[in-house]
Amino acid sequence: MYNFPKGLYTDVRIEEIFETKIGFKKDALQEQKVRSNKGAFIRVFDGERWYYSSLTDLSRVQECIDALARMAKPNENIAEHPVVKAFEVNKDRIVQHEKDSVTDIPVTEKQALLEGYLKLLDYPEIVHHTSYYVDNKTIKTIYSSKGTAVTFDKQTCGIRLNLELASSDNKNRDVISKAAIRFDELIGLEDYLKERIEKAIAFVREAVPVEPGIYTVLLSPEAAGVFTHESFGHKSESDFMVGDETMKAEWALGKTIGRELLTIVDDGLVPGNGYVPYDDEGTRGKKTYIVKNGKLTGRLHSAATSAALEEPLTGNARAINFQFEPIVRMTTTYIEKGDRPLKDIIGEIDKGIYVETIRHGSGMSTFTIAPSRAYKIENGKITVPVKVSVITGNVFETLAEVDAVSKEFELLSFVGGGCGKMEQYPLPVGFGGPYTRVRKLKVQ
Amino acid sequence: MEKEFITIHEKETAVRVQNTRVNAVRMKDIVKKGVRVYRDGNIGISGAIGEVPDEVLLENAVQNLGAGISYPYELSGNLKDHRDYGKNRMSGDQLLECAEEILERLRVEYPDFDFNEGILTREVSWHMKNTKGLDLEYKDAYMILALILKEKKSANVIDGFLEYYGRNFDLQKFWAFNAQLLEAYRRRVPLPEGDTLPVLTVEFHELSSFLSRALNGEIYATGGSIFSNKLGQKLFNEKITIDQNMSPVYRAEPFFDMEGVVLKDDRYTLIENGRLVSVYTDKRTADVYKLPHTGAASGDYDGVPSLTWAPIRFAVDSSDIKTALDGKMGILVAVSSGGDFTADGSFAAPVQVGFLFDGEHIIGKLPEFSIRSHLYKMLGEDYIGTFENKDFYFGDSVQLQGYYMTIVR
Repeated sequence: MYNFPKGLYTDVRIEEIFETKIGFKKDALQEQKVRSNKGAFIRVFDGERWYYSSLTDLSRVQECIDALARMAKPNENIAEHPVVKAFEVNKDRIVQHEKDSVTDIPVTEKQALLEGYLKLLDYPEIVHHTSYYVDNKTIKTIYSSKGTAVTFDKQTCGIRLNLELASSDNKNRDVISKAAIRFDELIGLEDYLKERIEKAIAFVREAVPVEPGIYTVLLSPEAAGVFTHESFGHKSESDFMVGDETMKAEWALGKTIGRELLTIVDDGLVPGNGYVPYDDEGTRGKKTYIVKNGKLTGRLHSAATSAALEEPLTGNARAINFQFEPIVRMTTTYIEKGDRPLKDIIGEIDKGIYVETIRHGSGMSTFTIAPSRAYKIENGKITVPVKVSVITGNVFETLAEVDAVSKEFELLSFVGGGCGKMEQYPLPVGFGGPYTRVRKLKVQ
Repeated sequence: MEKEFITIHEKETAVRVQNTRVNAVRMKDIVKKGVRVYRDGNIGISGAIGEVPDEVLLENAVQNLGAGISYPYELSGNLKDHRDYGKNRMSGDQLLECAEEILERLRVEYPDFDFNEGILTREVSWHMKNTKGLDLEYKDAYMILALILKEKKSANVIDGFLEYYGRNFDLQKFWAFNAQLLEAYRRRVPLPEGDTLPVLTVEFHELSSFLSRALNGEIYATGGSIFSNKLGQKLFNEKITIDQNMSPVYRAEPFFDMEGVVLKDDRYTLIENGRLVSVYTDKRTADVYKLPHTGAASGDYDGVPSLTWAPIRFAVDSSDIKTALDGKMGILVAVSSGGDFTADGSFAAPVQVGFLFDGEHIIGKLPEFSIRSHLYKMLGEDYIGTFENKDFYFGDSVQLQGYYMTIVR
């Protein structure tokens, strides 16, 4: 395929991207866009430094490899370099969406689907709305000088309704979203959407300001997913740990960080936003237990971090698109389900907060969750909706505060947004989990 | 049929940094093209990344007319305005040399810290032209330095940042400020006594994002804004003036909106001396809701122009921070991630990294805490002022703003 220069490690990632975006403002069609783009990202490594380039003219890939090679210093022992040794060699083709491809659905059919759902938004409290249908099908091919040659496809599609709500002096905005893999999964969502629309309306009518304080917080699968991602997921990305003895000691494998009931998984093979059959270095996607029964058992790796920390590859080297290099990122991250019914877990809370949906989260030393809809829990029952700016906790302490996880469990994918890590935003990730109770969090 | 062409060219060299050493060099050279056609009150769009011939894109845009997207507004035209803000371009080799020099000094003088992430130089050009005589060109070149700071003895993933964003990077100024900042990172100080303290922010994204949404003409007119029905009313402190500000001087983005509108002096006043005098609009919103048109259309290079958000900027209203602090110690917020406003204006946020500041010097690093306020309080009775930033070398056009806020320890 390509002439890979001697004395260097080289890989090439080619992406063919098909996207549709259909947008309405209220009932008026605002946009109907179909895009098809191609691009490549090339990496050359000489054992000391990496050289990267991205381009859109695929006929120039060889020229670009040669140009990067001229910047590098050939190294006759490159094959023995720990990072190069760490790379898997895979030859595979996983093309799953030839028969149910979103590229084969007429754009008018996609538009009609979205238009049909707009009828659900006819409430006086919904003063404005913008609504979108989006899909994305990407075919990736990765070649490396070690012999990897893999091709795979990934497809997502979805509906997103952005609501502006007002009821007398109360205002709010809410987002209702549903992502799927096949177009036909988006048909017949009326009940799913209606339930959420009515909750959004009740919230703008009835929500009262929260009394700031420390509360027991019950997280829905959506909120638990963001909590897991922000409070712990980012700490398991091992590029933060390379060359850092304090971090290595703090997050040593085998250390107890939570109760026996807590098991956290990152799984690149779960269908949806975080589906990664091969990562962007050509490593096979895997299920990685990062916490098992309260103990640290693993972390997420690229080839470089796997070599540096002498731990196995996990298939977590991901880039947001062909303009960026792969870095260590999550795929689908979740707390495993427990065996307790949700009603029992709620029943034990005298005074708490239930977080049902979220706007955003962040994960530094203090992690945050900004709820979209939250409710009081009083005497074992979910009662009035409350307006909350932010819920925070310390990452070193909070996992130990998780004291119940439900047997009810859900994994989710949404349209829009995603995970951000410095310049690379947004990356689609999957998340979710069981209803999760955290004994103490600061609510403001 | 009228035709409109948008071409964006981005050229970038990035130095990627790991453990305070150059780990990789990345180069990017990308062209994006968008084409719009207008016929019988409708718009058709198309676009591509890469050098796709205009004829192909035109054909796709004509096909897209069939979608029936209404656009009955007059095209901007008869205007030529070419501007180049990026005269001090830094080459890839110069960037690498500069990065090596900075990292060498960090390794030698600050071995108790580790630095990761990157430094890049970017050249951009935007060209928008149409068959009605519109010919707008914006060129720029700037540098972004974003180094994650990690204290080696800390178990945090991130302990802070060294940052710069601008066109005129000055190594001497960079060190004069960051040497002081890094010394302050080493010096722990307690939070001053008191529940309410003067808080200083640099680029307060949660506030600008909340205000930008509230000043969106469409959200305002349909009743979803906290400011709905308040045009003409006094909302904030008398000192406060806020513009929709399109000047590339402040944000390294084109001076025109996505409908090719250029504002007089690149700005439109929305809040004047605390009073709401306008909301921002694109052509459609101005027409549908009978509001003044402020040239605030946004959208993708290959999309239909639309109203989503607009850049807003406070006018500088105060000059001397030390005098404004009135003998008190200020709290400088360096990293506050994850906070937000509720829809009715209540605000709370954790401050992951804050410093004690006496109006002239950064005294030391504070323990983590949270801040709390309300939009109308922080921009009303608790507002201290908006200052031209002379003290903190985070970029060429960074503003410093102060308000009294409740401190939650």
